[in-house]
Amino acid sequence: MGVGQDLLNVPFPQMIFSMAQAIAKGQLALDKSSIETLKVLANTKFDWLPEITEVLYSRPIKISSPNAPPNTVASGVGVDVEPAQFMPLTLLQAGINPTFYQFTDSIIEVKMSISSQTSSENSLDVGVDVSASANFFFGSATVSSHVNYHTANKYSYSVEGSSLLRTELKPAPPPQRIFPTMIQVDATDPAHVKITKS
Amino acid sequence: MQMYIVTFKGGFNQQASRSLQQHVHHLGGFILMVTNNGPLIAIDDAKAAAVAQHSSVAFIGGVTFNPRGLAAESLQRIFADNLSKQVIVQEATARAPEKS
Repeated sequence: MGVGQDLLNVPFPQMIFSMAQAIAKGQLALDKSSIETLKVLANTKFDWLPEITEVLYSRPIKISSPNAPPNTVASGVGVDVEPAQFMPLTLLQAGINPTFYQFTDSIIEVKMSISSQTSSENSLDVGVDVSASANFFFGSATVSSHVNYHTANKYSYSVEGSSLLRTELKPAPPPQRIFPTMIQVDATDPAHVKITKS
Repeated sequence: MQMYIVTFKGGFNQQASRSLQQHVHHLGGFILMVTNNGPLIAIDDAKAAAVAQHSSVAFIGGVTFNPRGLAAESLQRIFADNLSKQVIVQEATARAPEKS
């Protein structure tokens, strides 16, 4: 087994496909939730009081204190409060938008540690023993030799791997095609009705 | 923190609304406004899932503020007003154990 082959065996295409598929599924679920939020906001109405008109007018106060000079008049101010009519408004019209999200940076990180070790040990032991003896009739001699050869080969190979999949989710502006266009018809002056889109 | 709109199972009712508001407070969130569909809340992103687990909650969705909305300024004032009341309440609650 070679190191190059191990690297080739990392299932990158499958990992990328799985991650892309997970992101696509996640994005779909998030978009559905945002559209659901849009519906809720469009259906949530509240009564908005756009303005309250205060009319200030002069209201002189005649001072009736015995200590004050006769016919003393202090300047006073009266206030008439005129609330405008309540306007039913949806939260969407009022200024609350659904949050849309999008996946931004996605990273697949694969770490591999490959180690290979080969060791070889050889030992050779050669020995010769010679012995000789002689007496009156004959002499003798013996020669013996030994050869010990020892060989050991060790081979170890290990592969360790870890992978990290990371993706970031960030809020995104609402897609224009999903978001409704606000059409405002200003009919305060019936002779000059104004229509504005936003 | 992020803003969310929450709706109730079977529509709005006072009891569910009160219970949810307490739940949100307990999780460290704030009630920005109560509508006839449910409240607008501000809560930490990590706690949003815990709000969704409340028995009365039907839906929770993230929302953002649109400064160009018709009543944007009024909403901002309402949010700020409601928020300031709750911050005072939280401070008072936090101080209470120190006194005892």
